[in-house]
Amino acid sequence: MSEPKIEGYKFKPGYSGMAADTASDQTMFKGVHWGKAMMWIFLLSDTFIFSCFLISYMKGRGSTPEEWPNPSEVFALNAFGVPVPLLLIAIMTFVLITSSGTMALAVKYGYERNRKMCGWLILATALGGLTFVGMQAFEWSKLIHEGVRPWENPFGAPQFGSFFFMITGFHGTHVSIGVIFLFIYAYKTFAGHYDEGKRGWFTSMKGDYVEIEILGLYWHFVDLVWVFIFAFFYLW
Amino acid sequence: MSEDFNDNKTIQAQSSETISGEGVRGVAPDKDYVRPAEVADQDLYHGHSFITKWIFCQDAKVIGVQYFLLATFTGIIGLILSWLMRLQLGFPGAAGFMTAEHYYQFVTMHGMIMVVYFLTALFLGGFGNYLIPLMVGARDMVFPYVNMVSFWMFFVAVGVLLASFFVPGGPTGSGWTLYPPQAILEGTPGSGMGIILMCVSLILFVAGFTMGGLNYLITVLQARTRGMTLMRMPLTVWGIFTATVLAMLAFPALLVSALMMTLDKVLATSFFMPTILKAGEVLEYGGGTPILFQHLFWFFGHPEVYIVALPAFGIVSDLISVHSRKNIFGYRMMVWAIVIIGALSFFVWAHHMYVSGMHPWFGFFFATTTLIIAVPTAMKVYNWILTLWKGNIRLNTVMLWCLGFIVTFVNGGITGIFLGNVTVDVPLSDTYFVVAHFHMVMGIAPLMVIMGAVYHWFPLVAGRMLSEKLGKLHFWITFLGAYSIYFPMHYLGFIGVPRRYFEMYNSPYITSAVGVNEFISMAAFLVGAAQFILIYNIIVSLRMGKPAGKNPWQANSLEWLTPTVPPEHGNWGDKLPVIHRWPYDYSVPGAKDDFIPQTTPPSEVAGTEVEKT
Amino acid sequence: MSEIKKEQTTTHKIGIYLWIWGLLFVLSFFSYMVDWYQFQGLLRWSLILLFMFLKAGLIMAFFMHLFWERYALVNVLLWPMTAIACFVGLMVAEGKYTLFSRLFYFFVGGQ
Ligand code: HEM
Ligand SMILES: [Cu+2]
Repeated sequence: MSEPKIEGYKFKPGYSGMAADTASDQTMFKGVHWGKAMMWIFLLSDTFIFSCFLISYMKGRGSTPEEWPNPSEVFALNAFGVPVPLLLIAIMTFVLITSSGTMALAVKYGYERNRKMCGWLILATALGGLTFVGMQAFEWSKLIHEGVRPWENPFGAPQFGSFFFMITGFHGTHVSIGVIFLFIYAYKTFAGHYDEGKRGWFTSMKGDYVEIEILGLYWHFVDLVWVFIFAFFYLW
Repeated sequence: MSEDFNDNKTIQAQSSETISGEGVRGVAPDKDYVRPAEVADQDLYHGHSFITKWIFCQDAKVIGVQYFLLATFTGIIGLILSWLMRLQLGFPGAAGFMTAEHYYQFVTMHGMIMVVYFLTALFLGGFGNYLIPLMVGARDMVFPYVNMVSFWMFFVAVGVLLASFFVPGGPTGSGWTLYPPQAILEGTPGSGMGIILMCVSLILFVAGFTMGGLNYLITVLQARTRGMTLMRMPLTVWGIFTATVLAMLAFPALLVSALMMTLDKVLATSFFMPTILKAGEVLEYGGGTPILFQHLFWFFGHPEVYIVALPAFGIVSDLISVHSRKNIFGYRMMVWAIVIIGALSFFVWAHHMYVSGMHPWFGFFFATTTLIIAVPTAMKVYNWILTLWKGNIRLNTVMLWCLGFIVTFVNGGITGIFLGNVTVDVPLSDTYFVVAHFHMVMGIAPLMVIMGAVYHWFPLVAGRMLSEKLGKLHFWITFLGAYSIYFPMHYLGFIGVPRRYFEMYNSPYITSAVGVNEFISMAAFLVGAAQFILIYNIIVSLRMGKPAGKNPWQANSLEWLTPTVPPEHGNWGDKLPVIHRWPYDYSVPGAKDDFIPQTTPPSEVAGTEVEKT
Repeated sequence: MSEIKKEQTTTHKIGIYLWIWGLLFVLSFFSYMVDWYQFQGLLRWSLILLFMFLKAGLIMAFFMHLFWERYALVNVLLWPMTAIACFVGLMVAEGKYTLFSRLFYFFVGGQ
């Protein structure tokens, strides 16, 4: 996160720092843990996956002569007898952002070696994620109930259903994987693996609270993708 | 780049007062100071049983060899398929069982295997795994376990791919580009299970590759040894590294298109499927956009070309430098050229789509970007030639392959400039001119580099030399034979022979090419057979080759400087090497030997005119 | 690697996280309001994109710590997005062109 001390290396700020870091030996990302660097690069690759999905969606939607259903009607929910547009989506967004906040705090407390606090915050994040997946399942079943299928759609262009299920499905898979890992990491935190530097199951690297930050990166990324899906799928 | 033309680019290496000539261990003079390690030494998992040592092994070198062998195995299948195709083309009907459907399937599997499962896996998985940790002075890849899983994912991907030969309907016959709608419509061979397995196999390949790719990238970026700056890395590492970056950013598009196509096939979605009338009946599909697939595919496909080419560029630079005993001309320019080519390759994809019916204005954009890429590429060619210029050339097998590469690459590159221009491409598209072009530039040229690399690094891997005699025989048959195959194809393209055709029948303008086709086919059989010389050479040399000893080529780069040759797990014994210079200090004026290994401290080469790196 | 991190890593004040958290809620609320009030046309698009990029930027900069990372990492992560931007731009044009040719050849030309 913040600049570590490296013997014999002087940190420079800004672009001259970038040039110096790049030109130096051993590491390019000074003080960045291997796992964290890997997660960042992986997320970059994953960004390209989601970008390709969204670009396909844009191109598909842009070139179909059939009418595209109006999302604020399709995704409206009846609250006390009045249809409220995008109500469920708004709640899902709320839940996901909440879980992102708890995750950010978990990372902070992890680095402060506050084991309990960190563990509870991870658990809270996991629960947020679980809620999100649950609500998504609800949304899917509602749409399926109304006759929307990946291959057809009573409200207009069939591509609506295809893209909707594929993209939210792919995102939901990411969330679910994240939830599984959150639970595992919550266990590892409570068990003190990061305090003792216990080696992981599949790696000879020693456990460290940086792993919480790595997991956090993934989780925030899932949130980040949702921001784009929200804008392009529900507001367009 | 002005660095390259700077007059003060050499420095007089100074010796400190107390030490003259050879440095004395322990009392390192100031000049030799290298910053201490930032990162603690890596703990490795050492396998104990046969299974953990050789099968589910976490040693990058073993994984590299595994990748190499499996990729070669699939490559041989690709070769056999090409034989069958050439048999049909040269002597129609000679391969009795061959129907048009078979031909399509063979074309498709041949293309896909060669590009993805052979060349990509071989360069990045094979050479990348073996060479990256050694060349940057790391003990292993940074995540050995993930690296191991990467190989086994590749293994499964190959299995799924080959399984499609045995399912009802056979493998897909839609061409390696897999264009919908025909790829998944009845009437195309393998439009049932075949195409599904192809997509699944590609998805597995991408997933597995991502695991390996993350390893290669982070090892290069974060796990170099002391003194190893990015600008002291051998160009081999630069090439593989940049290619991996491209792969990490391009494969997502392949993954997405493969996934969407699978859904179109399995769930009858219509991502890529327009409304289709078949025998007067409207199919269940409708409203999709086939051209989107082409954009996604080529957003992957063009960088893929460079995923194959860049490692070849890097490796050949090192081979040329070592075997002409000269530093590589314009090292920094070479690095920048690799990086710039890599970056630009994401902005040229639709030059494969000039005749697809895309937005007509795109031609301007993509022709321009395509021709811009030619500039850094040409710079690289000049630099190879200038490296050879007045070099102390050792005309051994390795060097022959390098020269063969330069020739074929220039040839294929020039036809590429033809095809990059819309007006020239339109009539030539989908003819044998295109087949000639891409085989020259991404088939034969990288293959030559692979061969050169095998002759160069075999002594490192096996501890024994390959036979030079057999090597030269192998080279000359392959080089002359490959030229005989692909050079006449340019002509076939000009007279209009279309690509991916099973037979020309009696089209009057094509019957004139019958003789040419026969000739090409004979050459193809010969070249394919010649590859078994290499296999024979390897098998024999493994047992009876001349022992290589340490550093048989007098090379500078780290992979030859391990305490044991072949290197063991962990590569470096107890102490990691410390780097003081780039790997190209050959024939330095004033130096004792004609090479100065990267680990030699300045105090040991006092008074020589080494490059400032 | 882990050895070095053993010393306490300095962290940021909790306030900043709470601030960002709050801002994200507010921005999400705003983008929801775009739909609620049914803004249309260019206004709708600019608002959607504005709030989207603001939210994305905040998440990346503070929750993912990019704001505190060194430029070497930040630049490596952001430059590749130019390829995506190019892809997006071209596909906007391509989508329009496909729609145009469909309408032109199937509806206008077909009559
Ligand atoms: C002895 C070596 C080789 C021979 C004789 C050979 C022969 C052929 C033939 C006859 C075709 C079919 C052309 C057509 O009908 O359109 C073909 C296609 C192709 N080959 Fe090769 N090839 C060889 C090596 C390679 C290598 C090393 C690569 C790696 C890049 C490669 C990549 C391709 C591709 C991408 C296609 C296009 C497949 C398609 O149209 O879907 N080939 N080759
Ligand atoms: Cu291309």
